[in-house]
Amino acid sequence: MKELMTGNEAIAHGVRLSRVQLVAAYPITPQTPIYEKLSQWESEGKLGGVMVRVESEHTAMATCIAASLTGVRVFTASSSQGIALMHEMLHFASGNRVPIVMGCVNRALAVPWAFGSDQTDTLAQRDTGWIQFYCEDNQEALDTVIQAFRVSETVCFPSMVIIDGFYTSHFMEPVEIPPQEAVDEFLPPLPMPNRFDFSVPAFLSNVVGPLDYFRFRQRSFSDMAHSMEVIKRVDEEFGRTFGRSYGVLEGVHLEDAEAVLITSGAITGTARVAVEELRGEGFRMGLLKIRLFRPFPAKEVCRLLEGKRKVGVIDRNISIGQGGIFCQELKAALYPMATRPLVQNYIAGLGGLDVPVELIKEVARDLMGRDREEGPIWMAEP
Amino acid sequence: MLEIKFYGRGGQGAVLASQILARAFFKLGMYPQCFSIFGGERRGAPVESFLRVDEKRIRLRCGIKNPHHLILMSPDLITPEVLSAVRKGGMILVNAETLPETVKGVGECDIALIDAQGIADRVGLGRALNTAVLGSYCRVHGGIPLHFLEEAIKEIIPSRIDENIEAARIAYQEVSIYRRSKGNGA
Repeated sequence: MKELMTGNEAIAHGVRLSRVQLVAAYPITPQTPIYEKLSQWESEGKLGGVMVRVESEHTAMATCIAASLTGVRVFTASSSQGIALMHEMLHFASGNRVPIVMGCVNRALAVPWAFGSDQTDTLAQRDTGWIQFYCEDNQEALDTVIQAFRVSETVCFPSMVIIDGFYTSHFMEPVEIPPQEAVDEFLPPLPMPNRFDFSVPAFLSNVVGPLDYFRFRQRSFSDMAHSMEVIKRVDEEFGRTFGRSYGVLEGVHLEDAEAVLITSGAITGTARVAVEELRGEGFRMGLLKIRLFRPFPAKEVCRLLEGKRKVGVIDRNISIGQGGIFCQELKAALYPMATRPLVQNYIAGLGGLDVPVELIKEVARDLMGRDREEGPIWMAEP
Repeated sequence: MLEIKFYGRGGQGAVLASQILARAFFKLGMYPQCFSIFGGERRGAPVESFLRVDEKRIRLRCGIKNPHHLILMSPDLITPEVLSAVRKGGMILVNAETLPETVKGVGECDIALIDAQGIADRVGLGRALNTAVLGSYCRVHGGIPLHFLEEAIKEIIPSRIDENIEAARIAYQEVSIYRRSKGNGA
């Protein structure tokens, strides 16, 4: 069934269809409508699970971790300062290997105070040991919530399902709501044989010596690397069941592309239109969408960009003192290639600044005329 | 693809107007995408709301700078910049008792006039004049049968549904249209 809904509502539908048993969250713009929708369904008896009111995002995550350890399926959502406040608990979640799914709606971090989309809030959580999916539109957000529960419960790592503030969270468009029975079959009840049992008291998050800590981290690293195959398999199975799959990356017109734009999140949609227009004007442009950021699909990126001469990475995020974060990751991934493409970074859309088709075409024209790299180029309409 | 911009003041229902119209288009089998500019949501503050409609899936995720259709819910917000952004061959629908001189001066656009505030007052809706504006828009657009709008209103408006439908019906009849463009801009 198709229904008109916002990206926030799409995430809420994914949560409802996943039969989440507990939601602990704290409101913050632009994520609040997720919270409101779930609260509304809870009050109408349509949610199945319970909402837990908490006093902060830090407590929201602590509550999710504790609940998840007892073997129930949990969800939370946040943005910006809320994610920043959760930071400490994000490490506890991945260290305890709990399969929490969090909806993240990108919003600029203070100061200055702003509301618009900026991926720096979730990218700043890069090293917390969470899986990160960056979604392009509302349908992908709904589908990815369901996929993320399946992945997280298989590999025992928490997942972030990330959308852009306003450009996805508040854009309303038609979304296919998958049938509950099909979702139930795809996502069976949470299997947690080692769940916390109150009748057998135990202690978690213990203190260990350096070697145990070292081995624990090593194990987390290799398990996260192995999760790549699970993520691909789950997406393929989702495609066979529901007719939609996304891959960890998506290439558009890469076969004959002389120059390739790299995007993530909502900017990808607009970039698709820009690339089609450029091709219509005779330019052999390609597009590579990065959907999965952790684990980073390094080998897959190298394979898709083999033989390409020029790559332009558009980042709606910034690591002050270095540059765009997707660009840094991409450059590191491309390093083993025998012949690397020129990689130019473009910073655009910070704080929710609009990134229209014309601006992306300007990026592409700069890239095509370029014969050497320089520091990040800041792109904004006059 | 048709791009529509609503421009009004908080309390007039510009955000809901774009959502109701999106639903009417959706019922017609079209692919709508609507959104609003946020930041200053409060009574009386300027509010901008947008709607794209196409027959196929819309991939764009950016703002609308040059709409085909501009719907001015509050005549005191009209500025030369707002008017000049409308595409040539487009349409400007304004809520006012008489056509403002500034709007008359816009060339190569169809102009439509509706006293939506007067209709809202008559049926007892106060400041909420969005359904009257939508009724007149359906007439101007020419491709949205009124009952599709009425169904959308029923599904979205939380209260006083009868008054809102009445407002839309009256406005559909009372709108004045001045065809001056060669095309519809879409």
